[in-house]
Amino acid sequence: MRTRFLIVDDSDLVRRSLRMVLQANPDWEICGEAADGVSAVEMFKELRPNIVILDFQMPGINGIETARRMAEIAPAIPVVLFTQHASADLERHALEVGVRSVVSKTNAFPMVGMIEALLESGDSNTTSEHSDSKNPD
Amino acid sequence: MAEHQKVNILMVDDQPGKLVTYEAILNELDENLIQARSGKEALDHLLKTNVAVVLMDVSMPELDGFELADMIRQHPRFQNTAIIFISAVHLTDIDRLKAYQRGAVDYIAVPIVPELLRAKVRVFADLHRKTYQLEMLNRDLRTLSARLITTQDEERRRIARDLHDSVGPLLAALSMNNGLVHQQAEKLGPQAVEALRQNSELIEQLSKQTRTISHLLHPPLLDEIGLLPAIRMFAEGFGERSNVKVTVELSPEIGRLPPTMEISIFRIVQECLTNVYRHSESKTALIRISPTRDKSLTVQVSDEGKGIPLDSRVSTLVGNSHGVGLSGMRERVRELGGTLDIQSNGNGTTVTASLPVGNMAVVSA
Repeated sequence: MRTRFLIVDDSDLVRRSLRMVLQANPDWEICGEAADGVSAVEMFKELRPNIVILDFQMPGINGIETARRMAEIAPAIPVVLFTQHASADLERHALEVGVRSVVSKTNAFPMVGMIEALLESGDSNTTSEHSDSKNPD
Repeated sequence: MAEHQKVNILMVDDQPGKLVTYEAILNELDENLIQARSGKEALDHLLKTNVAVVLMDVSMPELDGFELADMIRQHPRFQNTAIIFISAVHLTDIDRLKAYQRGAVDYIAVPIVPELLRAKVRVFADLHRKTYQLEMLNRDLRTLSARLITTQDEERRRIARDLHDSVGPLLAALSMNNGLVHQQAEKLGPQAVEALRQNSELIEQLSKQTRTISHLLHPPLLDEIGLLPAIRMFAEGFGERSNVKVTVELSPEIGRLPPTMEISIFRIVQECLTNVYRHSESKTALIRISPTRDKSLTVQVSDEGKGIPLDSRVSTLVGNSHGVGLSGMRERVRELGGTLDIQSNGNGTTVTASLPVGNMAVVSA
């Protein structure tokens, strides 16, 4: 069972690179891509990914708000905030809405290792996610 | 250079014959001449019109000229109104005239020398006209000043946004791609590996520079999350850059505020801290933002430095490169309907802005 990623970023350049990076791992696949928060939440509901990589600054609702809505639907699915403005303050706010980690877009090198660690620690969550029938939709 | 804008000259005398004479004398000044036969009529005119000069007989039967002058002087509105007494002036009268500390007062003796009367009236009329023009210019200046600040803010936000939207993604993609190549570095010869390593370093430098430029232009968390995190983040970065230890005390019940208020408060704090760094020689700074009972917000920045010299405090039009100094701060505070207070001595400086929040209630975060 491959790990399914939902990636959200308003720049197609970023999504393309992100796709390449993630797909370099044969066990990982991209199940969906969104360019804004509202569509991201819709896709999240439909696709139930194993993990979400989420941009912070987007047109419409920002990444924090998007993460908050996702946490309301399925809080066990890890969300990683991906941003140019990584900072301790942003992290604090991100953690409040259930984001597991904040990664700097422009220093993306450690991202892969961090995602691996996240998935490993949440492995039990990953399997239980598919039997999660608490969703209201 | 300004066109001759006529001012109003009020002539008060109970004798119509005298009024005719005054009118004849003052006609060539080409101003608006208004006649009043009594103190009451004079006051009526004064309340309705903006009068530059009041010409009046000291001794009128029903109303003493000095009493009328007293009444005029009591209204702050009439501070720009000059009074010329026409009289046979006695010594005691001169003393009473000197008692008027505010506003222009003069007298002309009888029999009136026409050229002298014209000269005196002309002087006061010109003064009034110039004062009015000055006030208009001042008002225009303030409007422009406010607009300049707003335009600056908007432009900086736009440039920061452009940096984020155009340069940012390019850098991000570059960084990620570089990381990918890194993963297969074992396939490369030593020179390529070295170039790759340098690339990583360059990308990191590039992203740091871009971040710094962007952050100085516009606080990154301000629009998306709010004032308090933006201030905290700025204070942290400032502390690192400047070696000034910044303490931040922000009341947690302060939530989102109107965007113009948030950016203005941020800029005020930013400007204050920049002054602390550049001028005060203080090792510490304190930022305090808290609500007060009467629906307003107090924003305070203090340091323990050597203080601001008095003449710098009065007007610092050209300030630091990212603000327009104290003058800009005053302008921002004025635009928000608040007040700015600066206390400064050899032991430190405290800048306090008090801003009404009013109906836009301070919402819980």
